[in-house]
Amino acid sequence: MASEIDESRARTRQALTASTFVEIVDTLVGDFDVIEVLTLLSARCVELLGASAAGILLADASGLLRVIGASTEQIELLELFQIQNDDGPCLECFRTGATVMNGDLRASSPWPEFAIETVRAGFPSVCAVPLRLNDVILGCLNLFLSVPAPLSPQDVALAQALADVASIAIVQDEVTRKAAIREGQLRRALDSRIAIEQAKGMIAERGRVDMDEAFSRLRAFARNNNRGLSEVAESLVAGTLTIDSLAQVRRPPPPPSRRD
Amino acid sequence: MNLEQSTRIAVALGREAARSSSLCGVCVEVLVVAGAGITIMGGRQTGPVCVSNKRMAALEDLQFVSGVGPCQDAYRFGHPVHAPRFDASAVSRWPTFVDLANASGVGAVFAYPLTNNGAKVGVLTIYQDHEGDLTEAQNDDSVALVEVLTETVLSLQDAAPVGTLAAELEDSVMYRAQIYQASGMVAVQLHTSVADALVRIRAHAFSNSRTVSEVAADIVTRRLRLVDDRTDREGEGLNGF
Repeated sequence: MASEIDESRARTRQALTASTFVEIVDTLVGDFDVIEVLTLLSARCVELLGASAAGILLADASGLLRVIGASTEQIELLELFQIQNDDGPCLECFRTGATVMNGDLRASSPWPEFAIETVRAGFPSVCAVPLRLNDVILGCLNLFLSVPAPLSPQDVALAQALADVASIAIVQDEVTRKAAIREGQLRRALDSRIAIEQAKGMIAERGRVDMDEAFSRLRAFARNNNRGLSEVAESLVAGTLTIDSLAQVRRPPPPPSRRD
Repeated sequence: MNLEQSTRIAVALGREAARSSSLCGVCVEVLVVAGAGITIMGGRQTGPVCVSNKRMAALEDLQFVSGVGPCQDAYRFGHPVHAPRFDASAVSRWPTFVDLANASGVGAVFAYPLTNNGAKVGVLTIYQDHEGDLTEAQNDDSVALVEVLTETVLSLQDAAPVGTLAAELEDSVMYRAQIYQASGMVAVQLHTSVADALVRIRAHAFSNSRTVSEVAADIVTRRLRLVDDRTDREGEGLNGF
């Protein structure tokens, strides 16, 4: 009897595990919102691992761990994640890169303050698995359990797999975001360089001067008005600055024959 | 960026090659092909950073002007476009391009978008004198070159002050400087936007069977005013404002 129930439970969990990975991987191949993916992952951790709450913490540039996805919005729980910047399984996991588990905080704990708060909130058992990429530890996946028992080795392996998916999502998001920023910078630099040539043409036509003189006027106007060359050129092209206003500033009384 | 060591080294060498305008020469040497062109594209259309020889320059130019060709398709769709021979489908996709390619003795064209992690910066176009596919090795090398070239272009721009085009990439704009300048002049002549002015220049070139570069050169040297095209009709109060 008992083994039959266990078996059917195992089958259900297997199916849920498979559908979770299909769901997450499906999200990752398209345009995805990393916070959304990590929140979803946290929710699935709770379902798959029998945890009461799960959170994904990432280290910021200064090394401070911050919750960026959690299965709950409860403030008390979010605080349990956050207080671990002083001491707790997450900090230890982040520092050592190893899985940290404590099946019964009431019995013994290397983090007395964290243990008191966590047990009081109703979670005698905690686990933290690292989010890693090669040798770099990005943060950790933190689980809170209401039953005072450690996770089984299979559950720890599954938690690590889910944490790895989270790492992939985070790294992929960063890579594409960086690439998009670089492409944008190139694009803007090209556009403003082109605008300078177009603005030269406009000034040359209106002022009946050659391109070199047109460029000098453009540059002089930018300098006299403390504005950037590209910005002035782009304003001219966009029509938010008229060429006449530019010509007037440059040469108040302009008898054209007096040059050279 | 977590680039492989060999890619990092290749990118450093690529930046150096870009400084001496020999990036395309390197591509031709690596791939053992007749010619290559590297075009940088941004928000508005831009031009080649380098072209390995004049024949290819005319073909790249035509694609810029008409907005039609394998290079444009590769950029737009974000995947390689192979034309190992100019068959009926190539002719119907890029009629003027195929005409010029045939006339200049080009037998096959292969265009690879310069993309990396979703960032698109331009196109590497490979030209062969004879018909036929690239070998598997040439295709593999092209894919590897794309990675190096994309990173080379982006890292050159990374090193430039924000908002200023990297000096090594200036050629992509300077190549078409007269067209941009002419657009500015015509915009003033016709009281229109520079984008519309470029359309008018293209239309003028097309209806007079001339290249856009030639027309632009005439406008910049003031041998041609496009306003003259329309004086009659403008006298009648065209657009009525």
